[in-house]
Amino acid sequence: MTKIILRNLTFSYKDQNGEYTVLKEINLSVAEGEFISIIGPSGCGKSTLISLFAGLLFPSSGSILLDGREIIGTGHDRGVVFQHYSLFPWMSARKNLVFGLKQVKKGSSRKEIEQIADTYLELVGLENFKDHYPSQLSGGMQQRVAIARALAMGPDILLMDEPFGAVDTKNRLALQELLLKLWEDGKKTTTVVFVTHDIDEAILLADRIIVMSSGSGTIKKEITVPFTRPRDKSQLFRTSPYAELRNRLVGLFYDDLLEEREDEIVF
Amino acid sequence: MKKMIGPASLFFLLLVLSGLLPGRSAPAGNNYLIGLAVIIQVICLTNLFWNKNKAKVQACSDVAALVMAFLWLWDLFTGRLEILNKFLYPAPGNILKLFTSEFPVMLKGLFNSIQLLAGGYILALLIAIPLALIIGWRGRLYLAVKPLTKVLGPIPPIVYIPYAIAILPTFKASSVFVIFIGAFWPVFINTLNGVFNIEKKIIDTARMLNVKEMPMLFQVILPGALPSIITGATIGLVFSFILLTAAEMIGATSGIGWYVKYFSDFADYPRVIVGIIFMGFVVTVITYFFDRAESYLLRWRR
Repeated sequence: MTKIILRNLTFSYKDQNGEYTVLKEINLSVAEGEFISIIGPSGCGKSTLISLFAGLLFPSSGSILLDGREIIGTGHDRGVVFQHYSLFPWMSARKNLVFGLKQVKKGSSRKEIEQIADTYLELVGLENFKDHYPSQLSGGMQQRVAIARALAMGPDILLMDEPFGAVDTKNRLALQELLLKLWEDGKKTTTVVFVTHDIDEAILLADRIIVMSSGSGTIKKEITVPFTRPRDKSQLFRTSPYAELRNRLVGLFYDDLLEEREDEIVF
Repeated sequence: MKKMIGPASLFFLLLVLSGLLPGRSAPAGNNYLIGLAVIIQVICLTNLFWNKNKAKVQACSDVAALVMAFLWLWDLFTGRLEILNKFLYPAPGNILKLFTSEFPVMLKGLFNSIQLLAGGYILALLIAIPLALIIGWRGRLYLAVKPLTKVLGPIPPIVYIPYAIAILPTFKASSVFVIFIGAFWPVFINTLNGVFNIEKKIIDTARMLNVKEMPMLFQVILPGALPSIITGATIGLVFSFILLTAAEMIGATSGIGWYVKYFSDFADYPRVIVGIIFMGFVVTVITYFFDRAESYLLRWRR
């Protein structure tokens, strides 16, 4: 079943220097339970796309349909994990989850809510850090809390905007595995839109990779990732289909940048 | 033993020795001065032997050295050498003695002062913070109110005193009003700025969680603006003190500002100095508790 449909989606904004088109006539559909990755160089509009999915921004023209209905704002059916740790710094890890859950589960008792929060903190391996404030947690731990909070709310769609971009390599690998595990444990019913500029990350995680082109705000290519799940990273990285796919993506990713450079020389 | 030798011990000895010399100040005053020197030195030495933090011990004994050096010079020029006018510059020993005997009287006056201070200040916090939260959160209101704060905020609150006394029925009401005005603007303006400067990602996150209006204001915006609110509250507190004293000097019949003004009218300068020192203590104690409250409220920051 199709979960998300983008129809001729255009997003532009104006400031004193003129009008900028960030996204131009984008068409895309995402199936329910699909894991897609959006990759592209910075400035290609991939974060804007996440904000549009989230309902924090609205299209200038065209439409985004969720389950056939146009998005009219933020909603409990979507959870977001931002790149910059988006926890409330004055709440402990647990309180962050409890506060989020309270907004969804109006009828539940405090005890039930706390139980759900504890379950999810345990799931991300932070049961011993429940009462720590975000400032007392490492970047990777904060991001685990943010994922736990997003998942605890039980969204249909999980939107992730370079969630591991600010985490060091070792922690990033652990977080990628954790995310896949949680998604697979959930019987892959959650649709995930994962924005990244890390090609390996996209291949490892996604069913399909959407490559955005730099500057023009359009989709350059959609590529289906052929590897079966569960994917074992250490094995996968050594296979030749992996290397081929990776090379292809690197090519797509960088020829834009090369073109840009040529432009500069011409000028 | 070696670590006991330092500027603090030097001034301690000087202070005690000159206290033992014959001089102008009364013998009882001398005892008070020597007593104070001994207390400071004992605190210093206990710190030296019990506190492990070297930098803190150092700082403590340096502060003690400065205090005792000041006391010694003061005593030297007033009590011993009689260089300064004895009418205008009382000796420290006499002041200390007077301080202890006047303490209960001043404490009673303080009780009245605190009522005015707390009344005006707490009222300012209770009105300025919620008002600024709502106005800061509503973009349109914010843009309307911001220019007004720039005009009204900088008016020195002291100019309201005569008018407040004229329009309000009692001195108490007019003091509370003036203290309220003095504390209101810094708290209000800083809260507005705090709300305005909350990081966008915090607001976006809250919006993604579909936080409703009330929890948004009091569980997201309020704590998010809290560091700035506390800055405003600190400035407001300082203003409150200044206005309290000013109001009391103008129209009160009790309180610590009145005490200083009253005795200066009689040229009783020892009591004036005692009142000023007492004020210093009161401010220190209140600031101490204020700082404790601040570090508790902002404990989530590193």
